Amino acid sequence: MSDEKMKILQVYRSEPTSDVNTLVEILNRDRDADEFKLYLDQPNYDVLIQKIYAADKTVCWW
Amino acid sequence: MESLKVYILIANRVYNDGIRSGLGLAVENHYAYPVIFNGEFPRMSDYMAENIAWIADMEGEVFSCGADAPTDLPEGTEMTNVSLEELGEKLRDADFIIPYGLPKQSHEPPAACGA
Amino acid sequence: MAADPNKFGIFVTSNQNMRHILGITRAAVRAGKEVMVFLTFKSVHLTKSPEFYELSQLCKVENLAICADSYICEGFDNIEDVPRGLTDKQMRTQAFHGAILEQCEKYIVM
Repeated sequence: MSDEKMKILQVYRSEPTSDVNTLVEILNRDRDADEFKLYLDQPNYDVLIQKIYAADKTVCWW
Repeated sequence: MESLKVYILIANRVYNDGIRSGLGLAVENHYAYPVIFNGEFPRMSDYMAENIAWIADMEGEVFSCGADAPTDLPEGTEMTNVSLEELGEKLRDADFIIPYGLPKQSHEPPAACGA
Repeated sequence: MAADPNKFGIFVTSNQNMRHILGITRAAVRAGKEVMVFLTFKSVHLTKSPEFYELSQLCKVENLAICADSYICEGFDNIEDVPRGLTDKQMRTQAFHGAILEQCEKYIVM
């Protein structure tokens, strides 16, 4: 798999800190990036599962 | 099964157990890289020092990000300083990234926590 | 051995995401996935929540485990106080996490 084509999903359990934002920015560079915020009210878990299966890699931050 | 590169990110002083968890993967033939953020170092018990040394023996590495690693670590126990940007580049190459436990607390813990 | 596309792994490291763990597990099961879950360190306290029993019913016995050492370290009795929904054979080591990484094509940390 070429690095450029990688689909990466960033999931947040709480609002991201500046450290997390910096790491996410580097991780998402030249990649097809998506995100999902679990800390918002009533997350749609079916959508989350779809996004995870659409992604090559998922990171679920604190 | 190929060996996986697994980064375990520890941002909260209570969750240094992530180092033990990393060792658990190292003994399963994976590469474990626990990362301690912003000086949230563990109490350096003999058990903790052994775990850190074993991770290195298994070709893993324990990093410190955002604060200099302690200079008085027990012999055979090493932590490598890494900047946030360097860490980000390393994480691009990870098979798994595990933000472990809880995020950093916004205040210093009271004395009662050390009791 | 390649990871199984029908297996979904959850590594539970925090003690405050039971709502998400259950929601994600239900959604993965609805999507036809087999869910593997390992709870470690402070997250073993979640075994005492009422929702944990439902989680145990959504996973095959061989796909759900907790870290026995963590359970004991947190003060629980691993012989006399096995959490509802588990058997003593589901008190495992960190190797179970390794099995999740190897067997599950998709994986999330909670």
